[in-house]
Amino acid sequence: MENLLNPSKTPNLFIPKTHLFKLSFLHSNFNPQPHSSFNRRPLSITITCKVKTSQGRKNDGKNISKKIVLTDSAPELSNEEIKAKPKGGGKAWGVIKKFPKRVLAILSNLPLAIGEMFTVAGLMALGTAIDQGESPEYYFQKYPEENPIFGFFTWRWVLTLGFDHMFSSPVFLGTLILLGTSLMACTYTTQIPLVKVARRWSFLQSADSIRKQEFSDTLPQASVSDLGVILMGAGYEVFLKGPSLYAFKGLAGRFAPIGVHLAMLLIMAGGTLSATGSFRGSVTVPQGLNFVMGDVLGPTGFLSTPTEAFNTEVHVNKFYMDYYDSGEVSQFHTDLSLFDMNGKEVMRKTLSVNDPLRYGGITIYQTDWSFSALQILKDGEGPFNLAMAPLTINGDKKLFGTFLPVGDTDSSNVKGISMLARDLQSIVLYDKQGKFAGVRRPNSKLPIEIDGTKIVIVDAIGSSGLDLKTDPGVPAVYAGFGALMLTTCISYLSHAQIWALQDGTTVIVGGKTNRAKAEFPDEMNRLLDQVPEIVESSISKKPDNIGG
Amino acid sequence: SPFFCITGLLITRWIYSGHFPLSDLYESLIFLSWGFSLIHMVSYFKFKKRKNNLSAITAPSAIFTQGFATSGLLTKMHQSAILAPALQSQWLMMHVSMMVLGYAALLCGSLLSVALLVITIRKAIKIIGENNNFAFSFGKIQYMNERSNVLLNTYFLSSKNYYRYQLTQQLDHWSYRIISLGFIFLTIGILSGAVWANEAWGSYWNWDPKETWAFITWTIFAIYFHTRTNTNLEGVNSALVASMGFLIIWICYFGVNLLGIGLHSYGSFTLN
Repeated sequence: MENLLNPSKTPNLFIPKTHLFKLSFLHSNFNPQPHSSFNRRPLSITITCKVKTSQGRKNDGKNISKKIVLTDSAPELSNEEIKAKPKGGGKAWGVIKKFPKRVLAILSNLPLAIGEMFTVAGLMALGTAIDQGESPEYYFQKYPEENPIFGFFTWRWVLTLGFDHMFSSPVFLGTLILLGTSLMACTYTTQIPLVKVARRWSFLQSADSIRKQEFSDTLPQASVSDLGVILMGAGYEVFLKGPSLYAFKGLAGRFAPIGVHLAMLLIMAGGTLSATGSFRGSVTVPQGLNFVMGDVLGPTGFLSTPTEAFNTEVHVNKFYMDYYDSGEVSQFHTDLSLFDMNGKEVMRKTLSVNDPLRYGGITIYQTDWSFSALQILKDGEGPFNLAMAPLTINGDKKLFGTFLPVGDTDSSNVKGISMLARDLQSIVLYDKQGKFAGVRRPNSKLPIEIDGTKIVIVDAIGSSGLDLKTDPGVPAVYAGFGALMLTTCISYLSHAQIWALQDGTTVIVGGKTNRAKAEFPDEMNRLLDQVPEIVESSISKKPDNIGG
Repeated sequence: SPFFCITGLLITRWIYSGHFPLSDLYESLIFLSWGFSLIHMVSYFKFKKRKNNLSAITAPSAIFTQGFATSGLLTKMHQSAILAPALQSQWLMMHVSMMVLGYAALLCGSLLSVALLVITIRKAIKIIGENNNFAFSFGKIQYMNERSNVLLNTYFLSSKNYYRYQLTQQLDHWSYRIISLGFIFLTIGILSGAVWANEAWGSYWNWDPKETWAFITWTIFAIYFHTRTNTNLEGVNSALVASMGFLIIWICYFGVNLLGIGLHSYGSFTLN
């Protein structure tokens, strides 16, 4: 039978790939050596033992011992790694090879990353405090040199550092790029080795080392295999080697932070693609008119290349709005037809807000509306189209107006009938003196008599405000979003590890967890309470399980 | 019981107005206090055996927010209003509810961190034997400068004072767990908002003040998690970061609305 408890053989230990500050050696079983310094730096225990992997028995018969390294926090890059690497080539080549390592080491420094994040947050806050995109005169006025804010902040700061367009300024983008490279460096140097470490499971062979865990307990009359069964029932993955047990749960919780970082890198890549490779444009089209997509779309960056779909002609069949009973606008709709270069209709759809049209990689959004013209009959003649102009009032309600001159149109002081409208539902009419004359709805066809002129409102012609966009980065960004949401949720899971050792009739149990530290002892106690107590008669079976 | 009252209120509003009750500031405040009472209930039921310090934070917060919402400051907005076209979307439920739940959890967690800081700094003041006439805030500022030395020392000294140490450990742990939960909600909220913006306006990020401040909040709490990975910085320093987060959440939630501009202007209000 395989004897795994071999205390005397600790032959040449080959150096593993991740170097750590080695604190102590733990020889296996029953000769516990003093476990050295428990200091607050990353706790690392180097354990020497023999492990039979489930894959193969190729190490069988040879006393190869692997050094298995168990760390609490990310292993730090040490100088040894830098020296160990370059073997061939001359000294110069070695220096060149060292350079990226050193850069990586600098970039994956945690305080640097924290500093970068603070800087990004601070710049963003500043970007909301300073009004963006205004003309230089605005900043001369707001941050004058004669009276600087905090004693030094003037418009010179704002304009030279690019704070007036903060979110595309070199300072901000540079910090973001730095953060991105730190993210990549950290993922490569720290997180990925962590995966290798966490995946190796290890058995603690000495009772003392188990007792030193965060949580430990002793079961006087128990069997380690019973414990194993109970742990399996509680969702742990259990590994049993003779008297020694190792169980873990929630390993995903240890890998998930890597996923978070990778997801963020994906989002940043997608965002960069969006910023450099998309097309954007907006247009306000009166009902009944057309436009060609390519005329409206403009590139945003150097990677933008137009596609065949840009030749499509868009025709606005109808623009109409829905209203609540109270008269407020509830939704606006545009009925669009798309025609290709040969005049064939390729698509027809009615858009509304939150319901865009997608064709050939181009998306059309309903974002705005306007009043194009008012069609009226004057004294039975017409119909005349009066263009409606937007009038500015406070707030974001719209107001449009038009003017129908009456009488002598050549005199300098022309009088006429004014018509105002907030939406396409109803028109308010005022007479030559500016007094309120009446309200008419376009569909009612009711005439109104003002100062001797008979007006019939035939139709209110609206225009649709459409935004067009192509964005190649969207799939990457959406994938990154999904991955980020998922991995953030998973990293909430706690990775718990439990070791146990059968010592005669007692079982010594120890465990630790990385996140749910308060609940862990309760859960452990609950599980341990379920372990059955071995009664006297079956003690004679015990010795067969150990060694042998 | 405040939980059931608020749930009832929200459901009534939902049925009456025909849309999910989260379209303006008043409704989101009600939702926030609902979030607090939810956290209170969950932690109460999950940990019946243990004495739970969390309730000291969640219950008053719920009452306070509810009171503020109902107070005279916002009487103009008590009527359920109709939804603007841009808000008529399924995303409304997911995005806003996630954001408000995230705010509730993060506020709880950062309040716990503030409590941790208060206790630790009170200890520091006592142990160093400073004159107790110092106003609390002054002492805090002074000790922030020397924190790397003073507070590390107090950690060693505090092992004498076992119960207080237990309390700070518990506060630290609970603050960590609740902020983790809140961070997940905040992440989902921000990302669902971005996807919704892309569906509605064609751009998933516009550097709108509210979006930017939400991102700043997210960044601050990401810093919080990173300070905890390194054991040297754990404890007080991470509590400091979380306390900053407390202020920033209020700026994000309330302060930005006072500006009244940008794509999130639905939440704006004027004090009358």
